[in-house]
Amino acid sequence: MPAHSKQASSRRAGGKAPFLHWMVLPTLLVLLAIIGYPVVSTVYLSFFEYNLLDFTPPEYLGLDNFAQMASDRIFWISLKNTLYYTGGTVLVSMLIGTAVALLLENLKGPVWTAVRALVVSPWAVPFVVVAFLFRFMYMQNGGIVNDILLDLGVIGNPVSWLNRADISLGAIIVANIWATTPFFFLLVSSALSGIPDAVLESARVDRAGLWSTIFHIKLPFLRNPLVVGSLLMVISNFNDFAKVWVMTQGGPGYATTTLVVYVYRMAFERFEIGYASALGLIWLLLLLLVSVFYIRLLWNRQND
Amino acid sequence: MGLPKRLVSAALIAFVGLSGTVHAEQVTLKFANWATAEGATRDGMEQVISAFEAENPDIKIESESIAFAEMARQLVLRLRSGNPPDVAQVAGNDTFALSSTGGLEPLQGYADKAFLDTLKPGAYEPLMVGEDLIAFPWNQAPAGLWYNKKLMEDAGLDPEDPPETIDELNEAMAAIREANPEVIVLGIDTTNRAFALQANWPWIRAFGADPVAAGGAESEEMQAYLGWLRDISEKGYIDPGRKIGEFRPLFAQDQVAFLWDQVLVQGVIQSTNGMSAEEFNAHYGVVPMPAGPGGKGYSFEGGHQLVMFRDSQHKEAAWKFMKYLATNEAAVKTYTIETNRSIPPAKSVGDPAVAELLDTPVIEAFSNDIIPTISPMPFGPEFAEYATVIMAGVQEAVTSDRPVADIASDIQNQIGN
Repeated sequence: MPAHSKQASSRRAGGKAPFLHWMVLPTLLVLLAIIGYPVVSTVYLSFFEYNLLDFTPPEYLGLDNFAQMASDRIFWISLKNTLYYTGGTVLVSMLIGTAVALLLENLKGPVWTAVRALVVSPWAVPFVVVAFLFRFMYMQNGGIVNDILLDLGVIGNPVSWLNRADISLGAIIVANIWATTPFFFLLVSSALSGIPDAVLESARVDRAGLWSTIFHIKLPFLRNPLVVGSLLMVISNFNDFAKVWVMTQGGPGYATTTLVVYVYRMAFERFEIGYASALGLIWLLLLLLVSVFYIRLLWNRQND
Repeated sequence: MGLPKRLVSAALIAFVGLSGTVHAEQVTLKFANWATAEGATRDGMEQVISAFEAENPDIKIESESIAFAEMARQLVLRLRSGNPPDVAQVAGNDTFALSSTGGLEPLQGYADKAFLDTLKPGAYEPLMVGEDLIAFPWNQAPAGLWYNKKLMEDAGLDPEDPPETIDELNEAMAAIREANPEVIVLGIDTTNRAFALQANWPWIRAFGADPVAAGGAESEEMQAYLGWLRDISEKGYIDPGRKIGEFRPLFAQDQVAFLWDQVLVQGVIQSTNGMSAEEFNAHYGVVPMPAGPGGKGYSFEGGHQLVMFRDSQHKEAAWKFMKYLATNEAAVKTYTIETNRSIPPAKSVGDPAVAELLDTPVIEAFSNDIIPTISPMPFGPEFAEYATVIMAGVQEAVTSDRPVADIASDIQNQIGN
């Protein structure tokens, strides 16, 4: 019996045995407890003035927290920084990861295997370690980045990469791209190996050139993995706290303050849980919007 | 006495003895602290805890290691969930933030006036909130202006005549920069965190500013302070973004000329470069902050305190432990002086060995000249907000070309909000 027939028959069996549906109940209950409750609680608290240092009952504010957010300059700066940080990282690391995967695709032998391992290695480095590594590499006094650029004559004086408002976000994005590119390299490499030989063979028979093969044969096969991968990375980078916190703590000024850093400061330095919840709610809605966009993209593709 | 009677007597004695042992209740105190979380202080703290337990077999200390940066969050969340420790090590604004929750036990009922009078003037008074003593001073760690005599000498400056005003400091910094462009001329913490505002507060006050007073953040004095920081940043005298602890190893290697830091610097330097006390005193010195335009220089108290929680079931034992940590001379010697490199709050010590440890040029400079210049901080529930806003402004001043007046105005608006 073909595989799809087996699946169909097991689905029919499930339909005849409703108790099987109840088997998902424990999982649903656990998900409700660990995801549903915090989300509902966040939504609820976002309508209150609630400071953890103040033991009097929270005061209902209606939409005041959201009105405050609309006129909160730091919120808008952190939202803009989050979009740059996430967009810049995902876009550039996707391009580099895809390009490197295409370059190394047909290169065989131990040397190229070692190169592949080298390309993947940043993915194995914990994010906090990446942040500390780059923090020390970027230092104005004794940082290796300045040493190299000075030796090459690219800069005349050491640059304070993480302490200049105009370049600090870019410097963190570069560190993040270094850490994220291997993910796209792995994803694209595995997707490339899944392209049927027959399809590539037909392209060769049709005398398709290198660029034509990449754009018309390979990239369409890569579309779905890249959509899923970039969705995962958008969510991951939107929520990325460790790198920004370790490298700049959101500074200088608010130049690298992202939403997650701002929420952290509000919730765990100022203990303003009500306002932090309102910020968290907007953050959640933004991520939901992005997710819906990506899912529709995938859905449309499947329907096509 | 017949055998049966002797057996009955022996059984009674054994029963009384046993029941005595069983009923001697041992109290367990939970002690939240970062001293056992940090490699440099863990051994000293554990020694003191063991010594206390040996002297007080009815009290067992359950040490809970919590990172310094996490302490306030952990304690507030534990207070909220009804599970605070009995005693905790706290510092800076965390002490006052915890007090504002109402979760701390006032200590004036345990530390009477006679006992408090054995402490140095100013040691406990800043910890009074209204009538309540909210915390007990464990050790004092004010900040002074450390200077490297060799780097001063190399720049043609008199190492025995450190700057006494900010104008003199500016001149000295210029001379050092010219003589040695590689060194960080002034090590000062400009990170965005509550401790950095504590460290910057005396400088802000030296310029006559009070940014949390009405209109104070956009005052001329505050703008003068921000302008001075921008000026010394543009001249390359400071290295923005470094935490204070990151300057210390560089100071030990003659790569920092002036360092605005706490009393513990001597211990850190000696453990980093292996200098003897004599070598250290020949190479480094410490003086009060140079006087600013207002004619005065200030310091901040960066010491640690001990707090007792209202929910503690063992308050008497908790107080016994707190008193031991802060004032027992063996504990003071082992932890406060030799491990934490700070100053005990007691006016005098009886043990000549402890007194000798405190008889150093550095401790003398701090005790006589620097501690009297400590400026009170605007601690309280709003301090974290002040710190974020003011230090973000300080960072903008030292790292961007945005007009200082705009930065000051922004600080004002946010504090006002």
